[in-house]
Amino acid sequence: MSAAPASGAAPTNKAAVADKSAESAKDVKLAAALEEDDEFEDFPVENWTKEDTEVPGDNTHLWEESWDDDDTNEDFSAQLKEELKKVEANKKK
Amino acid sequence: MDSVIQDFRKAYSAGDGYGLAQTLSPIPPSSQSERLQKFFQSTNYASAQKEFRNQILYDNSGPKMPMDEGNGWVEVYTAYWKAIGEILSAEAAAQSNARSSWTKVYDAWKELTNVLHRGYSNCGFEAWTVPCFYVVGKYLRIFAIKADEDAATSTTTMTNFDDFNPEAERNEKLEDAARQLNRIFNLCLSDRAPLEESRKWGIYNIINLLFKTYFKLNSISLSKNILKAVRAYTGDMPVLESFPLAHQVTFKYYVGVINFLEESYVEAEKNLTEAWNLCHKDSVRNKELILTYLIPCHLLTTHTLPTQALLSPYPRLQSLFLPLSRCIKKGDLSGFDAALVAGEDEFVKRRIYLTLERGRDVTLRNLLRKVFLANGFEEAKEPGAPQVRKSRIPIAAFGTAISIDSKETMDNDEVECLLANMVYKNLMKGYISRPYGMVVLNKKGAFPGTGV
Repeated sequence: MSAAPASGAAPTNKAAVADKSAESAKDVKLAAALEEDDEFEDFPVENWTKEDTEVPGDNTHLWEESWDDDDTNEDFSAQLKEELKKVEANKKK
Repeated sequence: MDSVIQDFRKAYSAGDGYGLAQTLSPIPPSSQSERLQKFFQSTNYASAQKEFRNQILYDNSGPKMPMDEGNGWVEVYTAYWKAIGEILSAEAAAQSNARSSWTKVYDAWKELTNVLHRGYSNCGFEAWTVPCFYVVGKYLRIFAIKADEDAATSTTTMTNFDDFNPEAERNEKLEDAARQLNRIFNLCLSDRAPLEESRKWGIYNIINLLFKTYFKLNSISLSKNILKAVRAYTGDMPVLESFPLAHQVTFKYYVGVINFLEESYVEAEKNLTEAWNLCHKDSVRNKELILTYLIPCHLLTTHTLPTQALLSPYPRLQSLFLPLSRCIKKGDLSGFDAALVAGEDEFVKRRIYLTLERGRDVTLRNLLRKVFLANGFEEAKEPGAPQVRKSRIPIAAFGTAISIDSKETMDNDEVECLLANMVYKNLMKGYISRPYGMVVLNKKGAFPGTGV
């Protein structure tokens, strides 16, 4: 928190005590800013129409399968096949 | 007459609840930056109440209202005037680097809240004025947070008392605010007036304020008491769909997150998806928050991941979810573990760590699926017959795959254990044949839902 850029550094001619309270005031502000960040924000208006939502009608393009079939030739598969051959060979011994 | 009271009379005559609520805001409109100073300077402690009474009750040019109600509003504006005084001095103190007292602001604002509450319980305030609670409740919470921060910094910069327990007192004002909001909640919920003139129309806004407060206090279980209380009134309440969308979306978001934290992922997904679909398209931050929970939810319920198209407007979500998503897709267990560690602080803060951790199963499924694919096809019994994948795979083959991935060997018992878990969780179909050291996979869909 102290690493944050000081917005308007405390005047140098002030007593150390005043400096300190300036520091803490700044910290409070910063903390407040952080907190607000975490909550669901108030909407600027109470109500809106369908046109103001982004209902795409079909959400399917927003989600994709969690596996990947495009990489069957990648290193891992090649290495795996190699290793599997070794396993086979060991078994036959 | 000051513009605050003028605006009150205008909004009251027009029956404009939101306009009326706006006169109780502690933030001046940008077009009248001096509004609060002027209001505060328009009178003084000795005569504020008397002046407001003259302006609200005895001025013939103003709206007509019953004496009781008028007196109620006089009390409200007197309390508001005092609170504004505290706010102005707190702001002035902050500007001159002196110690500001948000605690005093909170206490004055709480008094305003109580006076307003009394207006409804004793003075016959009508239901259309209920948006006043939205504004007063919203800032009650904000001032409480500021007051608690004040208290926290003053105790750390001052002295440490031996028997002082900062934990217990850290959220003193916010906890108090939660109690005040709860009183408002009950005032709205228990209104017996017919629905068209019921304070029940304020209920979801107040619930949302309570949710925000409970989340901040880390007392999420209290939110469930609220939901229970509302459920008890089902049938006696307007349906959620008839409330403003701002109330609906916020409510669904919090209900979604509450379910998410209880690991009721199906219910969570339903609420979060509705919130997502109804959310105002310009509220980017809110959409980002909805997705923060919807994405881990989707991973568990449907085993799907967000596409680039979904994430592209949200850089924060990209850094949160992209590294994990990539590893899940590739079946990269060690990469997944590393990404989970790398994002741990952020995941824990957002309360999604435990859910994401369960994505490891999907990662392992994808790795095992690769073994199945790499294991090739049965030799065709007759030419032209469709190719069939080999469904018997040595346990050692899976062990090898896991070892390549994690760069350390795992013994067979452990591998069997992982495989058995996969079968148990229905991510893989088949059985382990121990005498032969083989896994026999289901020929019709060894990895359900993945096309093989």
